[in-house]
Amino acid sequence: MGRYIIRRIGQMIPIVFGVMLITFILFNMVGGSPALAILGRHVSPQALEEFDEVRGFNKPLIFGWWSGTRAYDAETDFERHAGPWRAVEDVEHQEAEDREPAHIRVPEGEHAIPLEFSPRAETGFRWVIEYRLAPDGSAALLYDAESDEIDDERVEQREELAPSARWTRARIPFESGETPGELNMRLVVEEGAPLEIRAMEMQRRANHPLDSQFTFYIFQTFKGDLGYSESANQPIARMIREGIGPSLMLTVPIFLIGLIVSISVALLCAFYRNTWIDRMLVVIAVALMSINYLVWIVVGQYLAAYRWGWFPVWGFESWIYLILPISIGVLSGLGIDVRFYRTVMLDEMYKEYVRTAFAKGVGKRTVLFKHVLKNAMITVATNVVIAIPFLYTGSLLLESFFGIPGLGYMAINAIMSSDVDVIRAIVLIGAILFVVANLLTDICYALVDPRVQLK
Amino acid sequence: MTTQMDNMEQSARTLWSDAWRRLRRNRLAMICLWVVIFYTALAAYGEVVYRWHQWKDITPSYQQTDLDKQYLPPSLFRQPFTVESGAEVGVMERMSSGLRELARHPLGTDGLGRDVMQRLIQGTRIAYMVGIVVSLIAIPIGVVLGCLAGYFRGRVDDVIVWLYSTFAAIPGLLFILAIAMVVGRGLLGVYLGIGLTIWVGLCRLIRGEVIKHSERPYVAAAHALGLSHARIIFRHILPNVFHVVIVTFTLMFPAAIGTEVFLSFLGIGAQGEPSWGIMISNARLRLWHGVWWEMAAATTALFFIVLAFNLLGDALRDALDPRLRTGRQ
Repeated sequence: MGRYIIRRIGQMIPIVFGVMLITFILFNMVGGSPALAILGRHVSPQALEEFDEVRGFNKPLIFGWWSGTRAYDAETDFERHAGPWRAVEDVEHQEAEDREPAHIRVPEGEHAIPLEFSPRAETGFRWVIEYRLAPDGSAALLYDAESDEIDDERVEQREELAPSARWTRARIPFESGETPGELNMRLVVEEGAPLEIRAMEMQRRANHPLDSQFTFYIFQTFKGDLGYSESANQPIARMIREGIGPSLMLTVPIFLIGLIVSISVALLCAFYRNTWIDRMLVVIAVALMSINYLVWIVVGQYLAAYRWGWFPVWGFESWIYLILPISIGVLSGLGIDVRFYRTVMLDEMYKEYVRTAFAKGVGKRTVLFKHVLKNAMITVATNVVIAIPFLYTGSLLLESFFGIPGLGYMAINAIMSSDVDVIRAIVLIGAILFVVANLLTDICYALVDPRVQLK
Repeated sequence: MTTQMDNMEQSARTLWSDAWRRLRRNRLAMICLWVVIFYTALAAYGEVVYRWHQWKDITPSYQQTDLDKQYLPPSLFRQPFTVESGAEVGVMERMSSGLRELARHPLGTDGLGRDVMQRLIQGTRIAYMVGIVVSLIAIPIGVVLGCLAGYFRGRVDDVIVWLYSTFAAIPGLLFILAIAMVVGRGLLGVYLGIGLTIWVGLCRLIRGEVIKHSERPYVAAAHALGLSHARIIFRHILPNVFHVVIVTFTLMFPAAIGTEVFLSFLGIGAQGEPSWGIMISNARLRLWHGVWWEMAAATTALFFIVLAFNLLGDALRDALDPRLRTGRQ
């Protein structure tokens, strides 16, 4: 038994990992820069970099050594303008022509590379430059981490750009100095034809290739830090703690009442199976199922709360406010549940032990309520445990329509204001609960039913 | 003698004709089939109207606003009972003018004077588009992954089971909303959001069926003949499990339609086009002022198509797979 549990937990881990990966890919890779979205465009690149640094956004996404930095904050190619080089004298911007891509021309002389701010100390960086240089030309990258002026006698480092008549890409690594002072970088074009640059990018080296946003996210999650909601200006963990109560107040009664009613109706169907009562109940169940959830809520709220005035329309002040949403929730879920439990009961009715019981002269009522119901409970219990994690997310629509401040309401608000972290946290917790509930059902199954093999 | 003939005839029938015969006997299923055909025709008509207006580059009538005709109810007596030049307007006159108006807008008009019926037909078109595109995304994914997992087992199976368990673990509606949000507002987000999440159930079913079939003698015979894996999967096993795909399709279709309505209602789905979700969203506010017909039209249309597909799906399951029949004797 112990080994079985350990093995099932072992199967659980990849699924949790998968959920984290998928939500991560969904929200981080496809969405734009969170720093820009939150701080706006009118903030200095240094502030953006610091924002990213705190939240780990300046790391490679999933795996890799290199990631971008805002120190050389530019479009990586010169498609529209010369980027930061606009401020540098002599440097010309050439627009795209025929087959020539847009590029900049750096004439002879020394040119300081326009950096937005001096990058972090003691960090590896590299330039990725796509350039063209006539064979008789000579150009180099000079940099000195310590002083403002580059002294010819003690130049820290000098990297030659190999001449090439065709566009070539060079990767030039360098280290920033020990103190976070000025990093003086110059592009020196010494003689011959000017240097032409098609694209230029500055990248930062990570400590190790796994030091990525994804691992940062995983560690953050394991520490229990779910992040910070920018739209609500609160830690997400606190929002979830506060929202879970109202959500459960709504979903638990819906679940329990729905369960009792649908099992009773299903038993009724089984008792009168293949008569007009059964058929009518099934058609009603399908009809209930076919009414859109949205319609249930909109029409229910209009009729019962507004038109007839039986219930309050909106709010969360006392239990009276919950009656209407709960009834709507029960009614809308009834169709599917009745059909499901009816199938479960009927499946059980055709088993051999039921036939035996009938053959021995046991009455229909006794068979149904004493034998069938008891055996069907195994399937029912499985279904119940699997449904439990979904109670936590609450009901998106019911909550936002009736103004119940639960997690569903929170999720809808987050979606409307594109608050990615909140949705990611809710999705992640929901998924973990689901996986855990699955594990629990399997273990209970193994404990209760001796026929389940523990292989 | 006759029974023998019957038996012989029965053995000669194919699975599909047999299922069709069984379906034909189910009167409710046939009604549903006709309802589905009716809706399909409406959707096709809507598509033609839509294309025609696009081709001509003119504003279609379902988008034309006419503020003189706001909130016309679908009833005969919509003009107020007026007294003009001392003479009371006769009932017959009011009836005839009412009839004329009714013929022009059989389901009334909405808050901008647009014809509700035209919009309803366009809504049908969008619902069908969503149902079809979602199925085109989800069914290939579900079938291919399910077949691969069930046939090859081992590592392939582990990876695919991991993939669909992961997808199944993520709360469904939130997942769809998140995908739609990332892709951006519009129908593309709806297609991808629903399509990329709804394949899980089909994949699981197909995998189970394929596992069962892989152990059958006919597959062993195919192996013995030296047929390729692809041929065995797609020519031999798949036709035998294809009824699962058909039944799943009939149940996937209404689910996709319902979800689209939900997304469009939230403003994430269709943009600027009269989807049922947008109609419900617009009509919701007007409902409080007693404008019931737009809401009634959209919800009724939605209800009957979903009901028809659900009942048809059940009947198809019974017809195609007698072993699964609920209430078997």
